[in-house]
Amino acid sequence: MIQESDDVIVKAVARLLVPFIVVYALYVVMHGHYSPGGGFQGGVILAASFVLLGVSHGLEKTRRRMSEKAARVVSSIGVLLYGGIGALCLILGGNYLDYAKLGKILRVTPAEARSLGILGVEIGVALAVMAVMCTVFFAIFTAEESPEDYRSVE
Amino acid sequence: MTQFFVIIGVGMCVLVLLCLYRATFGPTILNRAAGISAIGTKTLIILLLMGVIYDRIDMFIDISMVYALLNFIGTVVLAKYLERSGEV
Repeated sequence: MIQESDDVIVKAVARLLVPFIVVYALYVVMHGHYSPGGGFQGGVILAASFVLLGVSHGLEKTRRRMSEKAARVVSSIGVLLYGGIGALCLILGGNYLDYAKLGKILRVTPAEARSLGILGVEIGVALAVMAVMCTVFFAIFTAEESPEDYRSVE
Repeated sequence: MTQFFVIIGVGMCVLVLLCLYRATFGPTILNRAAGISAIGTKTLIILLLMGVIYDRIDMFIDISMVYALLNFIGTVVLAKYLERSGEV
């Protein structure tokens, strides 16, 4: 279990930096099709903000924002978003992840439907990656606890 | 002008080698941590120079910002680990 850091510099810098990391991660996700990055990279940067929060302010305060149970739910939602958009394209008569078919229900041109569809898929990937990275972080940083403690967390 | 940036980039690579020596043979663990952190900062500058040389600075600036963030978080996590393991 990580205790809260007693160093004022680390805590102040983390408090200042975490909002900017989250905004930058959202930028990377949203501009994934224009610039380097995308769902996976944006999700990793989002998870990095939680890692920084956990290291500087302790696991208790991090669990209040993203608990193990919430991480599991969010990762499932992300995979559902990805698979759901892909399956929706199948139902509308195209191939898997054939975004142009989404234009029928979104009432936009096929080009705009492709842009919106890939954005939705990237948001799903980012949510899944962020939640799984948080799960890995919690699993590594609580490994020293006794097995009973570890089970009670689950 | 490109030649100027190439020369600066090669000089940065030489500086990275010097930091790599400190990170490999550093007497204490703190020397290694400082060497790794300095290598990360210089890699950021090399990335930006590459962006200027290839004329795609708008692409490379995103990568370099992510690199700076992860470098900082990595150093903090390493310091936390050393604090817990009681090596320092």
